[in-house]
Amino acid sequence: MQDLMVKRAPLPWWAAGLLLGAIQILAVAAEKPLGVSTQFVVVDAVILHKTAPEYSISHPLISQEKYSRVGYGFWLDVGIILGALGAALATGGWKLRGLPVWAKANRQSVPVRLGIGFIAGILILFGARLAHGCTSGNFASGLSQLALSSIPFAAGLFGFGMLTAMLFYPKTPAIEPDKKGDT
Amino acid sequence: MSPEIKGLIIGALFGAALYLGGLADPDKIIGTLRLKDLHALRTILLFIVTGMAGIWILDGLGLAHYDIKPTIWIPVTLGGVFLGIGFGMSGYCPGTGLACAAAGRIDALVTVLGMFLGALVYILIYPSVIVPLESFANAGKVTFTDATGIPRFVFGISLIGLGLAALTLTMREPKPDTQG
Repeated sequence: MQDLMVKRAPLPWWAAGLLLGAIQILAVAAEKPLGVSTQFVVVDAVILHKTAPEYSISHPLISQEKYSRVGYGFWLDVGIILGALGAALATGGWKLRGLPVWAKANRQSVPVRLGIGFIAGILILFGARLAHGCTSGNFASGLSQLALSSIPFAAGLFGFGMLTAMLFYPKTPAIEPDKKGDT
Repeated sequence: MSPEIKGLIIGALFGAALYLGGLADPDKIIGTLRLKDLHALRTILLFIVTGMAGIWILDGLGLAHYDIKPTIWIPVTLGGVFLGIGFGMSGYCPGTGLACAAAGRIDALVTVLGMFLGALVYILIYPSVIVPLESFANAGKVTFTDATGIPRFVFGISLIGLGLAALTLTMREPKPDTQG
């Protein structure tokens, strides 16, 4: 039943937290705090500028300079994909799969999981832009900068995140504990 | 260094760290939202506290580049709610969705496709819905200090204290129940 157990992460929490914090500091020193979600709108906007130029140049959002071409933020997102791919390959964790363990424990089939994932994706990005930032930009970076917006955002995010997870994943699978000495 | 190269390097470090730290793992995220597996929660807490302390130091050196989001109460709260629902349904958010898709998770790839559609919906309803929604209850791009007049170190020290207290309190992982 190895595939029905949630595996521990490659790094212990303290190493992962310090590493992510260090990357945040580097990003703030080099350009600006970490953020991911704007670029989904930029990619859509660049396509719209090509396919519907008249609509795009009169649009109050995507006619703006920031949304009409790709730059630092776009390449950051490309970097995330490459970095995760490299880390997964290097640790032997790269695996084609469609079901997380929690989904298996709660009897989701692959088609159901993909349907849930697609609808979740729409809500995730729409919500992130509505709030001007996602889990990275408005929560982690927001709180690190002591931004007021991180408070109502985090309340909505974790309040409804916990509630929704309770509804979709009532059954708990076995979870591999962190190594002794890591906690 | 060109902004493209800078973005690529910082992004690659971030993507690798999200993967290695278990944040780019929907099982770890759902486990934390269900309060059954606190690894991701503890990682995020330390990520925020470390980043906050570092930005504070950079600020003192005059090296910090801020990007404060506007506090427009209704859309920011609603955005958190929508993102929270999607987060709880899937275990993904924009950054970890990209990272998980790259690590071979097909469901994450489908979620990323949904995100492009979500972005399109946002663009399409922006003129008629978002513009009016952002026209009121807007406190602007403010920090806790701007909003309250209380000095930065009070919030800085309290957040570090709260973070360390939360890390201590979550030291003992809750026992996962296999019955559900």
